[in-house]
Amino acid sequence: MKKKLLLIFLGMFLLLANAIAQQITITGKVTSDDGPVPGVSIRVKGSTTVAQSSADGSYTINAANGSVLVFSYIGYVTAERTVGTAKTINVSLKTDAQGLDDVVVVGYGTQRKGNLTGAVSTIDVKKTLEGRPIADVGRALQGAASGLSVTVPSGEIGSDPVIKIRGQLASFAGGSSPLILLDNVEIPSIQLVNPNDIASITILKDAAASSIYGAKAAFGVVLITTKQGSGSDKPSITYSNNFSFQNVWKDLKMADVNGLKYTVDAAERVGVTTPVGAFYYVDRASYEKAVAWKEKYGSTIGPDDPTVFGRDWYVQGANLKMGVRTYDPYDYMIKEWAPTQQHNLSVGGTTGKTSYNLGLGLLDQSGMLKPAKEDRFTRYNASIKISSEINKYLTIRGGALYSRRNKQYAYTTNSTTADPWLYLYRWSSLYPLGKDENGDAIRSPESEVASANTANILLNYANVNLGSTVNILKNWKVDFDYTFTNQTEDWKRPGTRFTARNSWVAPKARLDASGAPVYVNDQGQVVSSTTAGAIAAYDLSMDMYTTPGSSPDHFARSATSYFSHTINAFTTYNLNLKENHDFKFILGLNRVTSTAESQFGQITNLADIINPQFKFGTGVQTVLPATAAMGIIPGGISIPGADKRWEAQLGYFGRVNYAFKNKYLIEGNLRYDGSSKFPTDLQWRWFPSFSAGWVASEENFMAFTKPFLNQLKFRGSWGSIGDQTVPNGLYISTMPSGQSSWIGANGAKVNYVGTPAAVAADIQWQDIVTTNLGIDATVLNNKVNISFDVFKRNTNNMIVPEEGIPLTFGAGAPQGNYGSLSTRGWELTLDFNHRFKNGLGINFKGNISDAKTRLNAYGSGTQVTGNYNGKDIGEIWGYRTDRLYQTSDFELDGSGKPILITLTNAESKLNAGKQTYKLKAGPNGEKPVYQPFLQNSSTFRFGPGDVKFIDVNGDGEISNGDGTLANHGDLEMIGNSNPSYEYGFRLGADFKGVDISAFFQGVGSRKIWGAGFLAIPGFNSADGAMPEAIAGNYWTPQTPDAFYPAAYNNAASGTTNNMQVQDRYLLNMAYIRLKNLTVGYTFPQLLTKKVGISSLRVYTALENFFTWDHLGDLPIDPESISGYSIWDQSNYNSGRTGTGIPAFKSISFGVQLNF
Amino acid sequence: MKMKYFKYIYGLPILACLLLVSCNKDVLDRPPLTDYVDGQFWRGEDDIRMYANSYYTNYFNGYNSGFGVDYTPVRGYTFSDDLTSKNAQTSFESSVPTSRGSTLETADWLGAYAGPTWDFAWVRKSNVMLARLNDVAKPKITGEAFNHWSAVARFFRGFEYSRLVSVFGDVPYFDKEVSDTDLATLYKDRDARGVVMDKVYDDFKFVMANMRENDGAQFLNKYIAAAFISRFMLFEGTYEHYHGLDATKAKKYLEFAVEAGDYVINSNKYNFTRDFKSLFSSDNLAGHPEVLLYRTYDAALAVTHSIGSYQNGTEVVGVDANLVLIKSFLLNDGQVWQNSAVAGANSFTIADLVKTRDPRFEASFYDKALVPSATLLYGFKFASRDALTYIGKTYPAAWGSNTNTSDAPVMRLAEVVLNWIEAKAVLAQYFGGTAVTQADLNKSVNAIRNRPLDAAATAKGVLKTAPLTLGALPVDPAKDADVPDLIWEIRRERRMEFVFEHTRLLDLKRWKKLNNMDFSTNADYYLGPWVNVQTEAASYLTAANATARNVKVKKADGTIVTYDGTNAAAMVGYWMVTNAANRNAFTDRAYLAPVGQAQIIQYQEKGYKLTQTTGW
Repeated sequence: MKKKLLLIFLGMFLLLANAIAQQITITGKVTSDDGPVPGVSIRVKGSTTVAQSSADGSYTINAANGSVLVFSYIGYVTAERTVGTAKTINVSLKTDAQGLDDVVVVGYGTQRKGNLTGAVSTIDVKKTLEGRPIADVGRALQGAASGLSVTVPSGEIGSDPVIKIRGQLASFAGGSSPLILLDNVEIPSIQLVNPNDIASITILKDAAASSIYGAKAAFGVVLITTKQGSGSDKPSITYSNNFSFQNVWKDLKMADVNGLKYTVDAAERVGVTTPVGAFYYVDRASYEKAVAWKEKYGSTIGPDDPTVFGRDWYVQGANLKMGVRTYDPYDYMIKEWAPTQQHNLSVGGTTGKTSYNLGLGLLDQSGMLKPAKEDRFTRYNASIKISSEINKYLTIRGGALYSRRNKQYAYTTNSTTADPWLYLYRWSSLYPLGKDENGDAIRSPESEVASANTANILLNYANVNLGSTVNILKNWKVDFDYTFTNQTEDWKRPGTRFTARNSWVAPKARLDASGAPVYVNDQGQVVSSTTAGAIAAYDLSMDMYTTPGSSPDHFARSATSYFSHTINAFTTYNLNLKENHDFKFILGLNRVTSTAESQFGQITNLADIINPQFKFGTGVQTVLPATAAMGIIPGGISIPGADKRWEAQLGYFGRVNYAFKNKYLIEGNLRYDGSSKFPTDLQWRWFPSFSAGWVASEENFMAFTKPFLNQLKFRGSWGSIGDQTVPNGLYISTMPSGQSSWIGANGAKVNYVGTPAAVAADIQWQDIVTTNLGIDATVLNNKVNISFDVFKRNTNNMIVPEEGIPLTFGAGAPQGNYGSLSTRGWELTLDFNHRFKNGLGINFKGNISDAKTRLNAYGSGTQVTGNYNGKDIGEIWGYRTDRLYQTSDFELDGSGKPILITLTNAESKLNAGKQTYKLKAGPNGEKPVYQPFLQNSSTFRFGPGDVKFIDVNGDGEISNGDGTLANHGDLEMIGNSNPSYEYGFRLGADFKGVDISAFFQGVGSRKIWGAGFLAIPGFNSADGAMPEAIAGNYWTPQTPDAFYPAAYNNAASGTTNNMQVQDRYLLNMAYIRLKNLTVGYTFPQLLTKKVGISSLRVYTALENFFTWDHLGDLPIDPESISGYSIWDQSNYNSGRTGTGIPAFKSISFGVQLNF
Repeated sequence: MKMKYFKYIYGLPILACLLLVSCNKDVLDRPPLTDYVDGQFWRGEDDIRMYANSYYTNYFNGYNSGFGVDYTPVRGYTFSDDLTSKNAQTSFESSVPTSRGSTLETADWLGAYAGPTWDFAWVRKSNVMLARLNDVAKPKITGEAFNHWSAVARFFRGFEYSRLVSVFGDVPYFDKEVSDTDLATLYKDRDARGVVMDKVYDDFKFVMANMRENDGAQFLNKYIAAAFISRFMLFEGTYEHYHGLDATKAKKYLEFAVEAGDYVINSNKYNFTRDFKSLFSSDNLAGHPEVLLYRTYDAALAVTHSIGSYQNGTEVVGVDANLVLIKSFLLNDGQVWQNSAVAGANSFTIADLVKTRDPRFEASFYDKALVPSATLLYGFKFASRDALTYIGKTYPAAWGSNTNTSDAPVMRLAEVVLNWIEAKAVLAQYFGGTAVTQADLNKSVNAIRNRPLDAAATAKGVLKTAPLTLGALPVDPAKDADVPDLIWEIRRERRMEFVFEHTRLLDLKRWKKLNNMDFSTNADYYLGPWVNVQTEAASYLTAANATARNVKVKKADGTIVTYDGTNAAAMVGYWMVTNAANRNAFTDRAYLAPVGQAQIIQYQEKGYKLTQTTGW
């Protein structure tokens, strides 16, 4: 009653005030709970008049009677005051502590933040996205929310990061990736969104929050909404830019002459003293020469100097090329400080009852592949949104969004298992790059990249949407939105043939004009054959070494078009009973249909390799690629080869929210979902979910806590969703078809249709059931927010291969719902904001989360390295390492050499009959433990400098037993390859327009067993490349304390001999990274207003600049995933750890302008 | 008409839309567009034919493709007593494998058994076809078509079971697609081979009664089927007989072999009016009068093979024809070498052999010693005469690498007549059947011997072999005592006809003559032809070989001359295959393959029993 009176009074007062409007001078003081607030912007609404509060919070401004003053300042809730008769207006600002009254976007609607009951995280769009030299939203989300795991596996520009919500694996047959929605419409890649268009990002983590989106949302939802028009008549124009320069994140220290020494040591260990290597050879003598070369020329001859015969290499025997000069591929392959620029322009405003927003964006990013003609990623974005209130019942809206992405790269090969980046790390440092003394390029990854034509993947995404809202009653509205989406992908791969000085084959003798051999001295100068030290000169043979028609002598193109129709229609009814009972009902439907179609064409044997075009191909045409390997377009909806697919989803949903005095909160969701992926009898499913909250701090008995506990809320939820990401071949008995290699009487291949796949008779959906418990607390005067969740997500009826089907079935065991797994985890978020009396504001926002996934049912296998019931996904089994054997561990013969013996039954039952070096007995005469079980190569015997394993089970032998749970010998679980304890935190401060923020992101625990040259010492020491960290730190009699074992060539195996999977050489991939450090300055408004600028901020940012990890000098990025890239997600570069495009750091500068 | 009604007007289109999309439930009816779906397939004969097409490359494999070797002559069928390798000979399997089997249609074969591994995928495929024909297709096609396609499915089922039985003996028999929930059936134990082969017999009888005589060129028809039936029925009939299993079944199968052979032979659709070599080295076998079915290779379609290249004079196969095989060839007067009046009958120089032996010798082996052959006698049955002109040069695609395009005979009349005459002879000898007449021999063995000679052979002086006459059968001192003269000669005819092909190991098995694989029984297994090493294989005479003392020849009297670096001129005699040694000892269990240990344990764990093959 009191309130109403006040309103009437105010209204009358306003009428009066309007009538006598005139300019008056207002003064006052702006304060907060912490005292006076300086620097507050005071603006007269609808005019250009502005003012700022002084150090003691006082201000002066001229305003008309009845006009409205707006008080705004970062970190405080903006306040408005209407000018009345009083000439003094004092304002007390409230701290903006993630206000409970903030509105959070949730599925098909919004929710008051304080009333959330599901597991929902919101992203601070301003802090996370603005002013960062980040190509896409996905990368920006790394570390930004608890339970959201984002990994950037390499520095490949234009690639999608790996996004997971709550755990890395949710099922074997289906996907585990979240649904990404842009304004309630699924998008194929988070990359196509212009970060500048984004108004909000919400992460829906539990089934209670996401089940309203149905069967596609089984693994969480990333919900992105775009900006609406701004509220004011005056158009708001925003321009921002960013110029950044990127460089390899860390010095990639590959071995120089030390690597040669390793190679020679490894060869000599097995008795090989003849030259070893690939194409360029090394033996003890040439290694000494390489050391001398380094000493003599190391500081004067650089990458730009040609390779000279006689000085840099020589020929031994018939045609063995012996190198003495060392090269670092880094110098030739990496472009340092590659530039990137971004520009964004947006215009928004409201005219009458129509609001609009226009956005334009440009990203132009360079890659780091130096010799490439073109290595870049560009993105152009355009968007428009209009909304018009036709009358009080009807609002219509429309919009369009366009995104054009183009990735251009050097097309050297269609191989994804050995691309040019692998060759940064493959051949020894003797392998020449650059030019030879004739000025011709030498065959190398550099020359191939330089002569390769540019392939490109062009992705055009466009959507158009139309919608309306009908307000039937004040509290009852109907929303209808329709979106048409079209994405086309055009992937062109114009090949070439390679011609260069062929370093892979025998060199050719250099002859003079008369055909006589030319002689050179050790500096490569031509001398007479009789000169002392003169050697017959050779040149590398100038060859076109690509066989005509073989890769990459072809032109290939694949084109895919994808379109979809999305309809979202729902009605919302708000019911408020007796003030305290708030009900909200939603009822709606969601219908998505999509079709994707692709075409592939390739022709070999190009007649024109300078301008490769399909028309110039003269060889074999292919329309159906033999493998799907080249069918993955980054960020695309790619389907391999020539194919067509369609699918549809139709769902009806309802939601009821009930809040009693914002204290007792209940929400229930129900969705009835149908998917075209399933046969008719399985198409439809109900997905229920419930959540409830109790705001304990609103209870009377909690009143005493009010002074420090502003809010305390308990939340709980349960929900079930089905998963439709499984391939539909599991449900439908499809029959393979194609062209047979049987040629019919008409001379053409016959078509065939193969045996129908075996499908389990009683297969069902996989069910994803989530339970979540959470606490939210706001304490210390709204300054600190804490949120904690524990959850469990079960995948029930998980589809795994049926067990116990004998071979007589005649087909692979069909997959059925015989498995289950569960993911358990917790998440913690902490915010803190404070503004000191002097105007210095500080803030902290951090989160940490963990999730572990355990296999509950997967057949009856008990192999520890396989899938067994009770296995934690990602676990690594290996041996425990004691130390390296020293010479003193062995019995020595007269010449001080260890003695090779054949073990007897008495010495080792397991290894009887096998050869090994004789060990000394223990100090008290203990029988030594022999390890020949782990000798995997015929030339490998455990000796000095080799790894000594621990006999964990004490049986006197080192072995893996049966490799089963019951008997795993000396194997133990030594780590887990999935990231654990993922965290991110931001520290920020601002003072008088200067703002600084540092954002750290990290992973607390992740271990992997590395693969390939960069992680495994002696992986292939004949090929020769290895990190200096290994080549400079391996055991020799002179370096008994080295970390890595004695040199040995494991011949391309990463799990044999010394390098059995073990704890000593397990890579610790935990890290903490300074993802972003930004320093900005916002010019005072008083100043900028004079030139018509509302706000102006300049900033500089460092991205990825500092990393603290446990990998020492190994050139491996702790975020890298072995074998994963956009080109091949399981066996890229043969799965060799760290061999992709290196991750990069960048430094950037930018401006943000608002008119 | 006030504003408040407008809201309903606005609402109407939305409501209409809602109704429209919500009622439109068949929006979810989106079956795969580019995959055939089992339930919606089988719409008519075209569909059925496409399904049947997927059998062809497996059962009518020809020369396989690419570098594939399974079921190919030369490269696949390398395990027999015809062929010898350097060092120790390949051994029989010596232990039960940990696991054996597959569920793939692309599964590897068991080369040492010349048949499929423990794999029921093809059985399932045929049973699916039969079920769908009956349940889905029947109303959509004519009765004649239904019967024909049922016959096609039953032919391939019989084909697969015949092969499985030849490898494993007893196997579980499934006459319908088994559900993944029907464990009792899936885990049933092996059925006796007689039970299985009776089922196969019934399938083949159905084939003979119902398959079309002509279903278009290069498609399976009753003649082709009958030819294969004669192969499998002869195998099983003689296997049952010689292994002393079930005389009634033996007779039944052999009679069917004769019946199937009669059907093909009496049709007079095929004859022996072209030369032997044309069968294996022609770029196109269309219209070849001896060929019932062939496989076409075409570089333009990227369907090529490598079998020709392995007989091009340069490539090494590793196992090559030995002296035992050489000696088994008749002289052109129709006599064995010990009794022949042909001049040079007892010379084993290659030059003499090609002139004096049955013409198939010249057509099957190069007329000069070639070092890539372990025995120096180099097979070139599957390469054209032209192919061998490239030795030391770059081969054309047709005869090098895996780009060969010669067509492969899948089934030819010669096999039918030899199956037929052998079945007849065995029936006559042991089952009171009608005696083999001279007319029978003239239709079979002698028809083959009367093939025309090609010009190149004639130019070398090669002559047709004299006919086999009942009254004057050759007397072979090397004959096994337990084999009657006529049957011995029929077997010899097979050996000469099918060298490098699919028959020899399986013939030894059905005749119960696997003991021939024990090379200690005859020293000739380690020898090649008579050579003058210095002139014919000089590259062997190196200092290193002199040191290693591994180049040897054997004189007629059995003395061995070893090259020591000084005695090159003395290196004349039977070539001794380098370091050749016998294979490991084996027993009669080698006739049949064991099943995997893991499979037996799997049955045990589920409470069922899978019996291991006898002797394993």
